[in-house]
Amino acid sequence: MTAAPAAALQADGVEVWLGRRAKSRILHGVGLTARSGEIVGLIGETGSGKTTLARAIVGLAPLHAGTVRVDGTPVDGLRGAALRRFRRSGRVQYVFQDPLRSLDPDVTVLDSVVEGLAIRGDGKAADRRARAVAALEQVGLDPALGDRLPGRLSGGQRQRVAIARALAVDPRVLLLDEPVSALDAANRNHVLRVLDRLRHEREVAIVMISHDLGSLAGIADRVVVLYRGEVVEEGPAARVLLEPEHPYTQRLVTSVPSIDGPRRPLITEGVHV
Amino acid sequence: MRALRLAVRLRPAKLALAVLGLVVVLMAVGDTIAPYDPLHQDTTAILAGPSAEHWLGTDYVGRDVLSRLLAGSRLSVVAAAEAVGLGLLLGVLPGLASVYFGRVFEWLSLRVMDGLMALPFIIFAIAVAALLGNGLHQAMFAVGVLLAPTFYRVTRAAAIGLRQAQYVEAGTLFGATRWRIVRTHVWQKVLPTVVVTTATAMAGALLVVSSLTFLGIGVQPPAPTWGGMLASDLGYLTQRPFGPVAPALLIIVTVAALNALADAIRDATGDGAPASAAPLHEEVPDAISAAVRR
Amino acid sequence: MQSPLLSVDDLHVAAGGVDVVHGVSFDLAPGEAIGLVGESGSGKTLTCRAILGVPPPGVTVSGGAIRLAGEDVSRYSRRQWDRVRGPRVAAVFQDPASYLNPSLTVGRQLDEVLRVKNGLDRRAARTRAVELLASMGLHRPEHVHDQYPYELSGGMLQRVLIAIAVSGDPDLLVADEPTTALDVTVQAEVLDLIAALRAERRLSLLLVSHDLAVVAQLCDRVVVLRHGRVVESGPTRRVLDDPADPYTRQLVADHREYGLDRLVTR
Repeated sequence: MTAAPAAALQADGVEVWLGRRAKSRILHGVGLTARSGEIVGLIGETGSGKTTLARAIVGLAPLHAGTVRVDGTPVDGLRGAALRRFRRSGRVQYVFQDPLRSLDPDVTVLDSVVEGLAIRGDGKAADRRARAVAALEQVGLDPALGDRLPGRLSGGQRQRVAIARALAVDPRVLLLDEPVSALDAANRNHVLRVLDRLRHEREVAIVMISHDLGSLAGIADRVVVLYRGEVVEEGPAARVLLEPEHPYTQRLVTSVPSIDGPRRPLITEGVHV
Repeated sequence: MRALRLAVRLRPAKLALAVLGLVVVLMAVGDTIAPYDPLHQDTTAILAGPSAEHWLGTDYVGRDVLSRLLAGSRLSVVAAAEAVGLGLLLGVLPGLASVYFGRVFEWLSLRVMDGLMALPFIIFAIAVAALLGNGLHQAMFAVGVLLAPTFYRVTRAAAIGLRQAQYVEAGTLFGATRWRIVRTHVWQKVLPTVVVTTATAMAGALLVVSSLTFLGIGVQPPAPTWGGMLASDLGYLTQRPFGPVAPALLIIVTVAALNALADAIRDATGDGAPASAAPLHEEVPDAISAAVRR
Repeated sequence: MQSPLLSVDDLHVAAGGVDVVHGVSFDLAPGEAIGLVGESGSGKTLTCRAILGVPPPGVTVSGGAIRLAGEDVSRYSRRQWDRVRGPRVAAVFQDPASYLNPSLTVGRQLDEVLRVKNGLDRRAARTRAVELLASMGLHRPEHVHDQYPYELSGGMLQRVLIAIAVSGDPDLLVADEPTTALDVTVQAEVLDLIAALRAERRLSLLLVSHDLAVVAQLCDRVVVLRHGRVVESGPTRRVLDDPADPYTRQLVADHREYGLDRLVTR
């Protein structure tokens, strides 16, 4: 156990309760591990708790029980100045689902990307701008767009700005909430290629929340299926998506529409959502 | 900020700013361009009508009305600004702090503001005057304190919607301090609301200075103020029925300009959402992804 | 070929005085399903809004004709549209919640449509509404009838919206990204529902989507738009399997780049 290097991200026994009673439980004993250079897909329907899990990992939702370790060091107990110091290290980055809401509408794209570096107080202002420009280029955005406000970008461009903002601080772990579900195929491919490159070139551990099984099939090494706040299945992407074991996963896989024509109609008995 | 810049380009806002600019000029040079000493009593011409020597006539002890209006402009406006400034300080900062600096402060500040709002205005002013002495600054202190809840409420209302905003959360995740979040993300969303309220409060404070002077609180005779002149002229309505017109007009025009400015800013801000928040209908063609595909 | 139910002929749509849709034409036969596909900014949504007579503010039809059962509706007045919407054409959109009044039960809103459009009395409207909700595959329709929009999931709301849309027994259903905001499993259920309704009611369908796979599930023919122009149209299988236009080829290739099929082949 001690011989293997610690995973970049390891969450164990995560419990999130909305209130004080067990009935209000949103997540129950959820574990999630992502190693450097690994892409983990987190699948689940609306209300399954997948966004809550990501928010709990970054400390936006309070943990009722469980631990979150980054490179082996527990981070869930951090508070106040220690928490701020950890966050400023930029080691764990979270990309919100809707960049239109997670980017300040009155702040230019470049300033948004600079923000993380400015808060950390890295180098001189010119230096930070250069790094922000580099981050924009890394996600395939023209740095000339940096002077625009987020409202003046297309959906695909905004999503890439949100990713660039996370990349600028050089994270070890990147959590992305539905980064491609609102994008058309060309933009989706572009974002997926960026993630694939990050994993290879910078050894980032990536957790990608998505209900787009096609995208996950393309880039995820492992997938974790969350159903009603619990992990019901996990394993290598190919195994889970080709030979799903849990009824929910099976239903999920048969639901994916194919460009090659109508699927068999679903049998509407059984699991109903 | 964009909203403010947008507002200034509107026609009513331009007109209002021109009027307010004129008022500022009056404040600066009013007493030097006044044709007479505003305190000089010309006993030969008491309650005189407009003439070549006294353009707006004289008051009940023979002082030149025009000179008193000009000389009184500084005192009237400065007094109102003093009250509003104090209100801003005591309202906006706690308003922001109540949203971002913990539940204890939130609860305490809410109760204090509730208490202030429950105070009857005139009685509070009289009590302050009795306690601190009867003078303009004491009266304006009272007015400023009582204006604070208004600023507190609007600032808090504007900021509280942003507490859960995702870009605020994103900033927190970068390890930003609360102060930094307020400075970079909250302040400019709250600013238009605060400016609107300031303009409205300024107008209100001008009227309050007048009504307090009317009651004999604040500016002491014989120092001239617009409100004071209005009050004293009202007493001589039978002898000089047009008397209150000149000071009243000045007050009305200044207040109207302030209100017009406030309205223009509100219009430019729309329903509270910054104009820039609206997404485009037709999205910009994505040149980069097109290039990548080739 | 029988006369088309919907005939869009050289449609031009202008936003702020500038044409953004430049001469789109296609015919939709009774009972047929057409998919309108394209990337964001291709003009597919504006075309669809123009066909429904509800262009966004500042957008107008600047040329061409939209014929619904032979009648040009492109310059219809509000009153004329009221006559057409319901019995002729109905629509569903991406975000069902924003088309329902949050302070009224969904049943009350469905009842109202039935009473106004179909002239039913209060009691008959309720009975019919519950029947409709049941035929949408909603469990315990009486219960759903008395719930408020916030109590229902996105998939259930979309079913309610579809119930409202088909309550007037329309000939044409226009669906603008009806499943984009839904989970994959719910999307599959809603697509199945639309397919079943088509078969039962001989409903024609105009489906607007950026997702070729969704279009492949439901549509007989596909119209590909780019920058407000039709670049290709034809039977779904022909267009998706053997696209003639380079742009369509790119769309299909982009779509196929990631997908479950990759796992099978690798």
